[in-house]
Amino acid sequence: MTRTAAIAGVGESEFGRSVDRPITHLVTDACRAALADADITPADVDGVVTAAAHPGPDDVCAALGITRTFTGAPGIPAGAGPLAAVEVARAAVESGRATTVLVYYGYAGSKPGGPYGFHAQDPVKASYEMPFGWYGQPVYFAAWAHRYCHVYGVDPDELGSVAVANRVWAALTPGAQRPAPLSAEQYLESPMIAEPLRAADCCLITDGAGAVVVTTVERARDLPGAPVLVAGSSTVAVGPPMTSFFTQNADLCSFGSAVSGPRAFAEAGLGPADIDVAEIYDCFSISQAVQFEDLGFCGRGEAFAFHAEGHTQPGGRLPVNTHGGHLAYAYIPGIVHVIEAVRQLRGIRGPAQVDGAATALVAALAGGEHSTLILTEDR
Amino acid sequence: MIDTTESETQYAVPDFAPPAELPELQPFWDATARGELAFPRCPDCARWHWYPGPACPCGTATEPQWQPVAGTGVIHTFSRVHRAFLPSGSPVPYVVALVDIDDAPGVRLVTNLVGPGADDPRIGQPVVLSPTELATHTLPTFALAEDRTTRESAPS
Repeated sequence: MTRTAAIAGVGESEFGRSVDRPITHLVTDACRAALADADITPADVDGVVTAAAHPGPDDVCAALGITRTFTGAPGIPAGAGPLAAVEVARAAVESGRATTVLVYYGYAGSKPGGPYGFHAQDPVKASYEMPFGWYGQPVYFAAWAHRYCHVYGVDPDELGSVAVANRVWAALTPGAQRPAPLSAEQYLESPMIAEPLRAADCCLITDGAGAVVVTTVERARDLPGAPVLVAGSSTVAVGPPMTSFFTQNADLCSFGSAVSGPRAFAEAGLGPADIDVAEIYDCFSISQAVQFEDLGFCGRGEAFAFHAEGHTQPGGRLPVNTHGGHLAYAYIPGIVHVIEAVRQLRGIRGPAQVDGAATALVAALAGGEHSTLILTEDR
Repeated sequence: MIDTTESETQYAVPDFAPPAELPELQPFWDATARGELAFPRCPDCARWHWYPGPACPCGTATEPQWQPVAGTGVIHTFSRVHRAFLPSGSPVPYVVALVDIDDAPGVRLVTNLVGPGADDPRIGQPVVLSPTELATHTLPTFALAEDRTTRESAPS
């Protein structure tokens, strides 16, 4: 009999713009929170999967007292990596290689190197791209956003609809780093970083960690929390490798979501119209919009108008980034989107709860690598 | 409202020396030091490669060879950057662009736009190589071509 994987618990560490604690401690806290949420102990865990280079599973397992017989690492960085880690954990559980797998991810955005250092460490980027000032992810995504505006005839001032919508959700979410509402007028006063992207289009800087417990649905049903099923998942790679992806990908208006999305939908037996809530990697407003189109939630060139019409906001047709996303909640890449989807499906989001949420989609990119997860209530 | 008068603003270019001599990129910087542009091309299947890679996916055992190009292209996209993230800092604003190189299909060069009109370019405008000499290196920057009529960039 095939085994089905379910998420049995999720947890976050303390997080914020700058947290004065080592990332290893934050990861350990997040793992403890996820285990407590699942109501299991470290002795119940036999597998660990992470997309984080640091801390490694050795440090985390030593700190928590976990003895593992399965270890996985998708080898994909921030964004898609933590989602791909959930898929690896799912594969381990469903194949019987492990019974209960702890997935974790930590990110110290305020610490030396910061969000840009990842790219500066690439010698080809340092020797070829940085001399032109093609450096800092806002520059990459600004060039993509400008191309998008050109191809679809979108006025750059319209880009604000994504940030405005995400902020509405953040205002309903305890702990969100940017809980203040943002009006369309305030968006236009947000400082220009790299045209057409303003500060409000850029994700937060966060120190923090998140963790997810994946186990068999049978085991999850014996635990106190409502199981969340992993009904579909796909991790793919399109275009050039990370080093040259942002300058050389043939199409600057599409990510791997155009491939992973349909694959995950097909496995789940669902389509875009069946999704109740979507958590989409918003390192920048433009990445949320482009993936939204790739995933088939609206037509090409329509994502910003869709957001402007309020469809992604509370009570809207398809609530998106219901915690505020990386633009307004926290930038612990990818993992906080998985956690938010689980909380929505469990119906515990209080004022930000999407009524009757039974299906959720989580999507994230890492250059040309992309992962889509479709999560559902136990049914 | 579009201001049709040409600005006299001369945007700066970042001054960030390539931090290390990277063997796979040295032919690129050697060519730019001569005021030229060159990219690797597979001698067997004629495909251009950018960035440099160890082998051509066509399966040939012959490594791609560097070949000079004319130094003209079309703006695929660009951004006026108002906040420099470079560890060295940089004067801002500067204009960073991706340029589709006319005679090397599939190659999109990262560059800076300089000279008249470079502060307010358009996607699709033709550009020509116009190197900028800095103290430590020559940057293969581009200037707008005399004919600013936009055209679609070369298919990649």
